[in-house]
Amino acid sequence: MSHAKTPHVVDARYMEPPGPFVATMEMLDTLKEGEKMLLLLFREPHPLYKVLRQNGHDYETELLPDGTFEILISR
Amino acid sequence: MLAFENAPPFAAPLRFFLSAPLFAVLAGLLVAFEGPDIFASRWTPGALAATHLITIGFMLQVMLGALIQILPVVAGASLKNPLTVARIVHPGLSAGALLLAAGFMAGMPVLLASAAFVLGLTALFFLAVTARALIGVANTSPTICGIKLALFALAGVVGLGVFLALALAGGWSIPLMALADLHAGWGLGGWAGVLLAAMAYTVVPMFQLTPGYPARAGWGFPNFMLVMLVLWSVAVFADWPWLARLGQLGCALAGIAFAGLTLRLQGKRRRARPDATYRYWQLGLIATILALILLATAAVWPAAADLDGWTLIFGALLMAGGFLPFITGMLYKIVPFLSWMHLQNAGQAKVPAPAMNKILPEIGMHRQLLAYTAALALLLAAQFFPALLTRPAGLAFAAANAWLWWNLLGAIRRYHHHRADIEARLTTP
Repeated sequence: MSHAKTPHVVDARYMEPPGPFVATMEMLDTLKEGEKMLLLLFREPHPLYKVLRQNGHDYETELLPDGTFEILISR
Repeated sequence: MLAFENAPPFAAPLRFFLSAPLFAVLAGLLVAFEGPDIFASRWTPGALAATHLITIGFMLQVMLGALIQILPVVAGASLKNPLTVARIVHPGLSAGALLLAAGFMAGMPVLLASAAFVLGLTALFFLAVTARALIGVANTSPTICGIKLALFALAGVVGLGVFLALALAGGWSIPLMALADLHAGWGLGGWAGVLLAAMAYTVVPMFQLTPGYPARAGWGFPNFMLVMLVLWSVAVFADWPWLARLGQLGCALAGIAFAGLTLRLQGKRRRARPDATYRYWQLGLIATILALILLATAAVWPAAADLDGWTLIFGALLMAGGFLPFITGMLYKIVPFLSWMHLQNAGQAKVPAPAMNKILPEIGMHRQLLAYTAALALLLAAQFFPALLTRPAGLAFAAANAWLWWNLLGAIRRYHHHRADIEARLTTP
């Protein structure tokens, strides 16, 4: 799945926990320096945010009208 | 794996979850003991005591316990010492609920005043520690916004409740009925309703694999409810009954819209098999819509509320039919999930945790759900045939909640068993 913001997308909207967390960490591992990935979820993943901050990743979150949170994460 | 260091110790929320069903058992036994007279009106000492055993002993108990657990997950806000907070709030709520129920039953001013004091201080303490955790947390999601507004409403319902209890204890002359209605509005609509919606935005898509709540509805519901409650409050203090009814109508219609939207989202879920949580939520949503239709009707046509049993049926539908099923459905997800998470952590990635359905088997939850639904049907039917059905309804309600307690206790027993097993396997080379 690709997206205007980045070709690296994890659509975790219909995944049960801890699926979204695991899929995000796995994709982050495959990215090169400077690349970005997008996580799609129907909630804000605060525990993931904390891990991202601890590992030095930047992220930006946008809430879309249909209730999807788009979280753009930098490697 | 799940940022485990964020999670409070299991003992913090668990004490709330395990004691809540016992208060519902007590409420059921009270109904059975008092018999048909308890439903003569919503103002009988027994009806007031049973209502508060449910709202404080069961609902508030689980809601505050769950918030202690879930604030880091849904809002990124951690309480400083969750176990200490739990150790203070849990006995405060438990003692407060018992004192209040005893105060209503015995009509003793000293018990009512003590309950007001204990519950007021407990709520104030909880609000202070959560406000401290939430200061600086931006409103980045409808869930966070909803939690903050719900906590504001908690201050409202407790403030009014303390005032009403002291007024009853002191024999003050106040517009008791209008203030009691407003107290119920802030409690059931502003606190319980908005908090439930805020949690639903996160947990319904997560656990039931439904689409998300549209953003506009997500932001709109909590804010609209609070505006309606403020209007209703102004109306009570200015003595404008028409505005109070407008506020009630607004709350009812907003609640119907939220419940209807949730039903629609559940209809699009991607989980093939309906589980106990899903069925409990379906029951809760349908009962809530029926209850709120009664509220809306009485707001437009006030004489309806004077019809025999109208308000009691509304209360039974909303609390026993709506909130208790929502909360029980969530307990059936939260308790196995937390057990699994703590076992997963105890296994240190060397020993896997058992599946969640091994910790709390579906069949036990499903049978308890059937028992609860039967008890609810009896409770509603008892409003029409009080002499015949009040005592059986009370006993059935007590039994169904005792069964809930037994199911949760079984999950915790299995958790301890697995934990001991994991620790033994880790120490054996």
